[in-house]
Amino acid sequence: MNLVGHNKMAASRWGFSARALETVAVAVLALGVQQSAQAQDDPGRFEIRSASVELRSGVYYLDAWVEYRLSTEARAALDAGVALTLDTEVEFLRSRRFWFDDEEANLRQGYELQYHALSERYLVLNLNSGEQSSFATLFSALNSLGRITELPLIDAALLDSDATYDIRIRALLSTEDIPGPLRLLAFWRRDWSLESEWYTWQLDE
Amino acid sequence: MAAGRIRKAAVTLALIVGVLVWFSVLMVFSPLAQDSDDFSRALPWILLVNLVGIALLLLLILISVLRLIRDYRRHVPGSRLKARMMIMLVVLAVSPLLIVYAFAVQFINRGIDSWFDVDVEQGLGSALELSQTALSLQTREHLGDVQSMALYLATSTRTDVVGELGELRRDSGAAELTIFTANDQILVTSSANPALTVPQPPTDEVILQLGQGDDYLSLEPQADGSFEVLAAVNLSPGTLGGEPRILQARFDVDQELGVLANVVGASYEQYAELSYLREALKTNFTVMLTIVLLITLLAAVYGAFFSARRLVVPIQQLMTGTRAVARGDFDTRLPIPAQDEIGFLINSFNDMTQRLARARKEARLSQQQVESERRKVEVILARLSTGVVSLETDLRIRTANRSAGAILGVDLDSHLGESLVTLSDTYPLLSQFLAVSRSHLDRGDYEWREQIVLRGEAGRRVLMCACTALSGEQEDPGGYIVVFDDITALLQAQRDAAWGEVARRLAHEIKNPLTPIQLSAERLRRRYLGGHYADSELLDRATHTIIQQVEAMKEMVNAFSDYARTPDMDLSRFDLNQLIAEVAELYRHPEQPRSLTLDLDSDLLNVEADEGRMRQVLHNLIRNALEAMEHQTAEEISISTRHFDDGGIELVEIKVTDNGPGFMDDIVDQAFDPYVTSKVKGTGLGLAIVKKLIEEHGGQIFARNSKRGGAEIVILLPVTREAGDAMLSATHRHDKRRERA
Repeated sequence: MNLVGHNKMAASRWGFSARALETVAVAVLALGVQQSAQAQDDPGRFEIRSASVELRSGVYYLDAWVEYRLSTEARAALDAGVALTLDTEVEFLRSRRFWFDDEEANLRQGYELQYHALSERYLVLNLNSGEQSSFATLFSALNSLGRITELPLIDAALLDSDATYDIRIRALLSTEDIPGPLRLLAFWRRDWSLESEWYTWQLDE
Repeated sequence: MAAGRIRKAAVTLALIVGVLVWFSVLMVFSPLAQDSDDFSRALPWILLVNLVGIALLLLLILISVLRLIRDYRRHVPGSRLKARMMIMLVVLAVSPLLIVYAFAVQFINRGIDSWFDVDVEQGLGSALELSQTALSLQTREHLGDVQSMALYLATSTRTDVVGELGELRRDSGAAELTIFTANDQILVTSSANPALTVPQPPTDEVILQLGQGDDYLSLEPQADGSFEVLAAVNLSPGTLGGEPRILQARFDVDQELGVLANVVGASYEQYAELSYLREALKTNFTVMLTIVLLITLLAAVYGAFFSARRLVVPIQQLMTGTRAVARGDFDTRLPIPAQDEIGFLINSFNDMTQRLARARKEARLSQQQVESERRKVEVILARLSTGVVSLETDLRIRTANRSAGAILGVDLDSHLGESLVTLSDTYPLLSQFLAVSRSHLDRGDYEWREQIVLRGEAGRRVLMCACTALSGEQEDPGGYIVVFDDITALLQAQRDAAWGEVARRLAHEIKNPLTPIQLSAERLRRRYLGGHYADSELLDRATHTIIQQVEAMKEMVNAFSDYARTPDMDLSRFDLNQLIAEVAELYRHPEQPRSLTLDLDSDLLNVEADEGRMRQVLHNLIRNALEAMEHQTAEEISISTRHFDDGGIELVEIKVTDNGPGFMDDIVDQAFDPYVTSKVKGTGLGLAIVKKLIEEHGGQIFARNSKRGGAEIVILLPVTREAGDAMLSATHRHDKRRERA
């Protein structure tokens, strides 16, 4: 776990652009590609159930509960050996009057989820720390991913004590790291665009 | 021209570069060659660019189609050809593309499917299973070890738990052996490498499974690729105190086995992933192919539009040019599109229009020349004193110059197109002219020349007339041209000259011997008349007669010499009216009952002339009139003057009228010839001299019978000498004045 500053902003912007273009692609490119999800398929759902920040010895720590439910398509890919990257994004926004909020800092915590066929276990690799753990079931792997405890976010000294800050958090399935052939499909298939709503709250001093 | 070429080259270069860039991007776009993150980020943009390209091409094509439809409906020249050519090109370009596309899609689907083999899949599955079995054997062995250790610990009574655990670890070959309390507290631990790690507490899974009373065993892949066996069991209640304890052991899997198993596992996963991605790959290829096809197809369609337009444009221009030429606009020049056959055609067209334009210009020029020639001829004809009349074969007047009208006494200009035959009823001169002409033409004699004498009120008019036929169809004439000259004046002049010569000869040849004759007769009288000869009476009578006759002859000869003489003019300005009044006064006699009325124009100022001559003119005219009325009881003479301006020339008209018998018709033209007289008295030179004197002043004189009976002499005299010169030079006015007179 580490704190990521502005240097990651570019990457997040790219991710955002890709998603915006996806809509364009879907709208314009009415290609006769097979329609993705059938009726009974689970579209999947990511949701932030709760999140809170605690200031301890000059550092803000995040505790959050994220519910991850993979779509049928994503689960099938996972079971076939495709590694999925799940990102949790945290942003500090400085509220400004009469103008857009300023993004002060952001943090991205990435996990790679993979099925290990030989051991028949699900591996979770923390992309920031390189720490790996394994789980017998997908449920326990996702459950473990969803429990974020004491994630250090930012040094309080970096924030302006007079300003008001909003914190927002969301979880999403990154399509940037999936295998090439799927990447193209991910542009217009709903079951590959898995991301939670932003969960926003105000930072208490 | 150069700028256009540069632009064309730039456009071509840009097109080539664009196509190359697009092609290379598509090459990179190949779904198999996409592992880098950069590419993954660029992908949406590449897609977008292609979509934009497609949209752009669609828009261009739509515009072209709409334009074509509009042109087609409006029947714009060349639109049908363009549409036909367009459809042909599109069909030619699109059908092979579609066929290739269909084959390519089929090929990709079949090709990708053929990568996957049931046997390979089964083999890999079996290998994985084998590896799992091999590993499972080892893991189970380790579980057995842990179970025995738990049993041993349960029965052990040693107090040195740490030492005991270390022994157990060493004996079993475990990497780590730890006893946890129920709340995950480490009770005792033994590690092969104690400095390296702190023992991990049992995970939720371990606690869950152990809580159900089962033992926990799992093979855990490590981040470095090795495997670790994690085994955990519940220690029997009462072991190491009363609380429940968990024994958790970690074993390293045999490295060789681990590596081999990993290789098998990786191969299996790779194959499985690839197999899973098969459909996505097919879709990708199809999408790619479709995008490439769409762009190529649309580019081909647009290219078809473009080339159809380029091919048709010169033809359209040619059509427009042809229409312009048909309308008579020969200045159309078409731009030459290229040095090909169409270029050659357009070149030829330009050449043709240029030649046509030149030909038309030349025609116009020559027409102008002809026109100006005609105008010149017209001017010449108009100024010519010769009358020229062109006639149709049915004697209708085609053209006539002014002189013709003046000579024939008809305003022919206002009668153009009318037949001479109908006009001849009203104009007597014309009817005589026509009679002579017809006498020739009726005989089929189209080329003739004859002197015609026309008799009219104003006297005799002698015409020299020549006729020629205009060339017409075959042998019939296309009309006639009759040319005639009024040679009356010429004949008159000839006559005057002849008379002048006669007078000079007479003066010279006769006057010389008269003096000796007279002297001789007088001598005879002096010598022999005083004596008394028998025949003296006879002598007296004879010599007297001789002398008298000689005297008369002298007088006559003098008159002749006066006529022939041309003394210098003594011009001066004097009052003509006063002169007329003075001269007229001399002829008034109280005993003679004659009326002599003067009607003098008071506007008339001084006249520049030879006063002596003018006096003689007046004397001659009055005497001539008196002589003509010799046997009449009531003699009436009137003299009038009138001052007028004739086209810038100041003239005075002197008119002397009497109530005598007038001129006989046959001599009215020759009234001014010497010795032409109808009177008993007189030399016959009076009027001849008057005419000569007037002509010396540049004036003119005419004689005619007045309407009331009696003769009328009209003199037109220029007021100044300059006017006289101008009058002599303006020959055409002569005719006019004569007409008026």
